[in-house]
Amino acid sequence: MFVSKKMTWWAWVALALALFFAVFPIFWIVSTAFKPSTEWVAIPPVWISGQPTLDNFSAVFISQAGAAETAATAVSETGWRAIFGSIIISICATALSISVGLAASLAISRYRFGGNSTPLMILSGRMFPPIAIAIPFLVMFNSIGLIDTYLGLILCYAAFTLPFSVWMIKSFIDDLPQEIEEAAMLDGLSRVQAHIRFTIPLIRGGLISTSLFIFILNWSEFLFGLVLTAKDVVTIPVQLSKYFAATAGQLYGVQAALAVVAVLPLVVIGYFIQTHLVRGLTFGAVKR
Amino acid sequence: MTETTTQEVPEMAPPPSGLFRRDPNDPGTLPLLLIIPSQVLLMGMMVFPFLLELWISLTNWQPTFGSLWEAEFISYFNYEELILYEPRFLQALGRTLLFAVICLSLEFLLGLGLAILFLKAIPARKLLFSLLLSPMMIMPVVVGYTWFMLFQTNGPINQIIGWISLQGDLPQVEWFRHDATAFASIVVAEVWHWTPLFFLVLLSGLNAVPQNPIRAAVMLGAGPLRIFWSVVLPNLLPVIIIAFVIRSMEILKIFDEIFLMTRGGPGTATEMVSQYLYKLAFQDFRLAYAAAAAFIVLVLTVIGVNLMLRPITRQILREE
Repeated sequence: MFVSKKMTWWAWVALALALFFAVFPIFWIVSTAFKPSTEWVAIPPVWISGQPTLDNFSAVFISQAGAAETAATAVSETGWRAIFGSIIISICATALSISVGLAASLAISRYRFGGNSTPLMILSGRMFPPIAIAIPFLVMFNSIGLIDTYLGLILCYAAFTLPFSVWMIKSFIDDLPQEIEEAAMLDGLSRVQAHIRFTIPLIRGGLISTSLFIFILNWSEFLFGLVLTAKDVVTIPVQLSKYFAATAGQLYGVQAALAVVAVLPLVVIGYFIQTHLVRGLTFGAVKR
Repeated sequence: MTETTTQEVPEMAPPPSGLFRRDPNDPGTLPLLLIIPSQVLLMGMMVFPFLLELWISLTNWQPTFGSLWEAEFISYFNYEELILYEPRFLQALGRTLLFAVICLSLEFLLGLGLAILFLKAIPARKLLFSLLLSPMMIMPVVVGYTWFMLFQTNGPINQIIGWISLQGDLPQVEWFRHDATAFASIVVAEVWHWTPLFFLVLLSGLNAVPQNPIRAAVMLGAGPLRIFWSVVLPNLLPVIIIAFVIRSMEILKIFDEIFLMTRGGPGTATEMVSQYLYKLAFQDFRLAYAAAAAFIVLVLTVIGVNLMLRPITRQILREE
């Protein structure tokens, strides 16, 4: 390659700076999650708490009865409802997005349905700023009673992750030689059977990666959750922003605890699908 | 499939039955059936709202006035007012573009630097790679919250600046109180969040650069800069374009981080298009007016898609 393999002193410095920049915010939020309320905004800032506490987590998970005298009592409710809401919505929306996306990508990749225009049309959906489309959503959902329901958010999330699932699955199917299905059909399977028994099992790994990727997107979605819910349905990102505006003041530590809980699955998933991450983020354009 | 194989099929396989097996080369209605669910979802969740938004934007509807269907049709009045008399909208548009240009340039340069650094023999390579990618996994709301904490006046960033500037006292930069520093703070948050994407994409691009031209260039006595410019960069260009297109698609929609960090403030210093639309629609409840602004954004988006996706489509669909 055009740079020497040897680590020079500036390479060490650059690496150290980059690592610090990348990791410090994450360290800070994890550390804040374990701080007692007096240290949340202490002067000077506390880097690692002298008296680490689980109060913030108990405010998220356990009702406040036992947590008297801590700032956590200001939390009006535990995070369970938000966690439950996020899990339900993310899983259902991912399943819907993947199954619809799988069917569409078969049609596009194997039968070139609509030439190039269909995939492009699907992709352009991803460019709509959610807030710009949220206004008609509000009107639509109000008139058919989908506002503040799980189903409403599931449909919404699935539609907005569909471009990713179509393009990503399509790139996996494209990698698979068509001769496999042709051979299966020569052996007497119908097209549908060939797809079910060969195409889909052969891209299983890709499908799993795509699902996890879509799950990350759904789990992180904030704006629709904020705008299309009222009081029945809460997701984790919305709950996070609520601690912020809580009347009892700023619950920084509790917020950090919920943030850690929310981000943990993403980091784990992200680590597992690292090899497919480029493909997902670039809609299958860069395959590595 | 050649002619001979099609003739042999009936002998090997049972006679065709069912909807899709009349002719092995004719998939019949299967592709249509496969594509329908996605089209229904997109029609219902994209195309129909798009049209509904156009309709709303042409009325004077506000939720407090009653139902949408009773609202008065006022034609292009909202648009006229928005473009001629509401500088905030156009300012937000311009600010979003400026923000995108600044952030993407920084992310690209930092990502490229890191990717080149990773061509060297880095110790604990896999671990460091994962650590450097980790910001990308954090959900935007948490990114906003984290940087909100870090940029507190009493926060660690001011503390670190104090150490570097070697002053005893903390310099009390009130990051969210001044236009320029508030803008800078969201730039930092955004760059932190998405530099890993450029790093990841550019690194995979660098690893795919063919080695022989580089060896040839070395033989001919070219220096590293010259090789980078004339051999590596041209090979990297498609990947760079893809990274830019995809990031600009996402960055122009930015909302979550700013919502948690500055809410568009102070004043309108960090108010991007999404913040502006949010305030219009969900704080002032001027829905028809907001719909007009949103519709302009959508139309610009569609134009942007067509301009930006041209290179990426060529890249993606080329192989087929």
